[in-house]
Amino acid sequence: MASSNMPSFPAKNDVRATWTYLEAGVEKIMTNLRGGMDMKTYMGLYTAIHNFCTAEKAVAGHSFASHNNRGGAHLLGEDLYQHLIEYLKTHLADVQTRSREHTDEALLTFYIKEWNRYTTAGQYNNHLFRYLNRHWVKREMDEGKKHIYDIYTLHLVRWKEDMFTGTQESVMRSVLKLVEKQRNGETIEQSYIKSVVDSFVSLGMDDQDSSRTTLEVYKEHFEKPFLLATAEYYDNESKQFLAENSVVEYMKKAEARLDEEKDRVPLYLLNEIMTPLMRTCEKALITNHSEALRDEFQNLLNQDKQDDLGRMYKLLARIPEGLDPLRTKFETHVRKAGIEAVDKIAAEGDKIEPKVYVDALLEVHTQYQELVNRAFNGESEFVRSLDNACREFVNRNKICKSGSNKSPELLAKYTDTLLKKSSAKMNEEDNMENLLSQVMTVFKYIEDKDVFQKFYSRMLAKRLVQATSASDDSETTMISKLKEACGFEYTNKLQRMFQDMQISKDLNSAYKDWLEKALDEGDLKNSVDATYHILGTGFWPLNPPTTPFTPPQLIVQTYERFSRFYNNKHQGRKLTWLWHLSKGEMKANYCKVAGQKASPTLQVSTFQMAILLLFNDSETVAYDEIAEATKLDRDTLDPSIAVFIKAKVLIAEPEGAKPVSGTSYKLNYGFKPKKIKINLNIAIKGEQKQEAEDTHKTIEEDRKLLMQSAIVRIMKSRKKMKHQQLVSETIQQIKSRFLPRVPDIKKCIDILLEKEYLERLDGDELGYLA
Amino acid sequence: MAEEAKTVTLQTSDNQNIKVDREVAERSILIKNLLEDLGGESGEEIPIPNVNEAVMKKVLEWCEHHRKDPPASQDDDSDSRKKSTDIDEWDQKFMQVDQEMLFEIILAANYLDIKALLDVGCKTVANMIKGKSPDEIRKTFNIQNDFTPEEEDQIRRENEWAEDR
Repeated sequence: MASSNMPSFPAKNDVRATWTYLEAGVEKIMTNLRGGMDMKTYMGLYTAIHNFCTAEKAVAGHSFASHNNRGGAHLLGEDLYQHLIEYLKTHLADVQTRSREHTDEALLTFYIKEWNRYTTAGQYNNHLFRYLNRHWVKREMDEGKKHIYDIYTLHLVRWKEDMFTGTQESVMRSVLKLVEKQRNGETIEQSYIKSVVDSFVSLGMDDQDSSRTTLEVYKEHFEKPFLLATAEYYDNESKQFLAENSVVEYMKKAEARLDEEKDRVPLYLLNEIMTPLMRTCEKALITNHSEALRDEFQNLLNQDKQDDLGRMYKLLARIPEGLDPLRTKFETHVRKAGIEAVDKIAAEGDKIEPKVYVDALLEVHTQYQELVNRAFNGESEFVRSLDNACREFVNRNKICKSGSNKSPELLAKYTDTLLKKSSAKMNEEDNMENLLSQVMTVFKYIEDKDVFQKFYSRMLAKRLVQATSASDDSETTMISKLKEACGFEYTNKLQRMFQDMQISKDLNSAYKDWLEKALDEGDLKNSVDATYHILGTGFWPLNPPTTPFTPPQLIVQTYERFSRFYNNKHQGRKLTWLWHLSKGEMKANYCKVAGQKASPTLQVSTFQMAILLLFNDSETVAYDEIAEATKLDRDTLDPSIAVFIKAKVLIAEPEGAKPVSGTSYKLNYGFKPKKIKINLNIAIKGEQKQEAEDTHKTIEEDRKLLMQSAIVRIMKSRKKMKHQQLVSETIQQIKSRFLPRVPDIKKCIDILLEKEYLERLDGDELGYLA
Repeated sequence: MAEEAKTVTLQTSDNQNIKVDREVAERSILIKNLLEDLGGESGEEIPIPNVNEAVMKKVLEWCEHHRKDPPASQDDDSDSRKKSTDIDEWDQKFMQVDQEMLFEIILAANYLDIKALLDVGCKTVANMIKGKSPDEIRKTFNIQNDFTPEEEDQIRRENEWAEDR
């Protein structure tokens, strides 16, 4: 039994004998714990320390304790503590000497083996010296003595001083070699590194509080060299790799390396190293090569390599300000793509289909929005770059150059074709929602939103009056989308127009009830069946007819009856009849539809109706008679007649004669249409073009008013203002509608000066005149 | 699985073996550490060279009663424990032993590292001193007065501030 090797049990007050006994035990624990320890020895050691510390007085060996002569309760133990320190120093000196015989992995094996052995022994000793810990050590520490530790911590302190300091550099060298091997793809014994990390962490004793540990030792002696070696490794690798491979290949490599390093941490490193390790790798792998990466960006864009673009985004997103140059390049690229797309369709001809134009804009937007979402993670800064680029090419491109308001006009026209009943295919509800959203996408980028508004409201008016709108739901959807984008004011009139249509519906049914009461049966039978739209003058972009017109007697009776009814209901309102927008149906009882018994119905404008009604009285009517009876001007009359001639409803006499004085027209009894309903109410050519021009003209006028009212508003609140300041503030107020030009604003200011709303003051200042 | 209560054998200074549940023995931190370090599976007797059978039995009686007490936390130096001289009823009765035994128990508790028992012992002694004059204390513990009257006078003057008035 091992205990037989122990010296004899010491007398309790004999320092020398006690230590001799203890030293034998400690030596055994330190060097031969595997040999086993029996209970007797264990208890012997503990008891020897207990007995020594509780002895009333030590008789010999006052070497350490002599100065420690407090009055009263004198705790013994310092001798043993100091002896233990001496022992540990000697032991560790030997360990360190032996460590020199090893390098690389062998050194790690040695270090870890010795460390494990030592710390296990430390735990044993901590138990055996527990009596010392509980009394002498505790008292010393309570009294604030520095450099007194509990027995286990004392072991760590000694290791740090007598072993770690001398060997840590070579240990780290071996660790780093091992890591390098792993980075080179070899398999290594990871547990070595983990053990070294644990050991270094354990040595971070807190000088203030021995029960706590800090990471200082680890940070200084492990983390720092580890990061340095990492930086060096990747510096070299990345330079070499880039010299031999493409940027795309390099990005894959860098991505893989970054993942690999991230995965390395939980394997055998401390989690604390994650952030600095990633920083280090990012600097070596990305920051140092960011120029090369960015140079490749344009190529990848040109080839639409979404995966590689995404890879580049992810890499550069990791470093500060890594993406800014990409965003700039991206913006330029998208703008170019948009302008090129428009150039292409502009080259196909002067007359641009609204749909072709809008589709071209959308296609570019959709393509790059998808790219932003897929490759750039939908990042808001890239979205902003995309928006900037789109705003540029939507408002400034080849087609817009010919007319600065072309984009909003074409967009409004495109929307009109979507919402019109006549549009070739009936759009499914879902699809309609989709298409309208696309319209809004382009609308968002349009700067001259007022132009869009003008065109849109005209076309809406037409759709409503002519009942060509495909669905109320779609119309409402579109208006609420516009309202969402531009606010209540922007859509106010549109909404009122819509309301007027609803009110008119109710009004018509009320009128019908009224008619039934007011008229006897005979009158009712002979009266014209008519419906009326009452449109608020201020809200509808409609003008009274340009031509004089005398409605036929039949119509006069009809509308006068309605006027009576209306004036009863709303006194003092003036009704203006928009004849050019009115229409009706006439039954041609004098002929039959080909192969049928029914007579055809002619759909005509009110003007045409007035002309045709003349033929009820006479089969042949002279041109001059028509002109006299209807009072229509030639611009309206001639094309209206031309439609009848073309449709063979009337025949000119002499045949082929121009509509001039002397020509007469005869009803064609041989008229044999193929359909029951024949639409003769065909918009007169030139009218449309005229309309567009008018619209643009009114826009200019409206803008002037808008700018003037903005200027007056600003001056009213400021009273005095510098010229320059006023201009910039005006721009600020108006730019949500359109981008005003500075010379226009100056012109408006001049007008207001002239009208004496404003006055010039000294030093470039303007004043407000109430 | 009903775990069989493990037992250990303690060998007292007068070579008597006492068999006791391991859980009870482990109220002593010394024994607990020893069993942890050495395994304690061998059935070998644990020598307790500083405690005799009579005292050991008394100590184990206390340990048995307190076997389920929560282990004292590491730094249970809270003021309440230090200041209070309250002792629970069972412990008071347990401590009704002759003075010699009382001191033996205190020494054993200190040696075996049973903090709670040490506390109870010291509190019992403290209660014996409380409210007594020096002479009464001397009488209680059978202490010889080795001060000269002058020395005693000086000490009294120096410690006047501490007098209970």
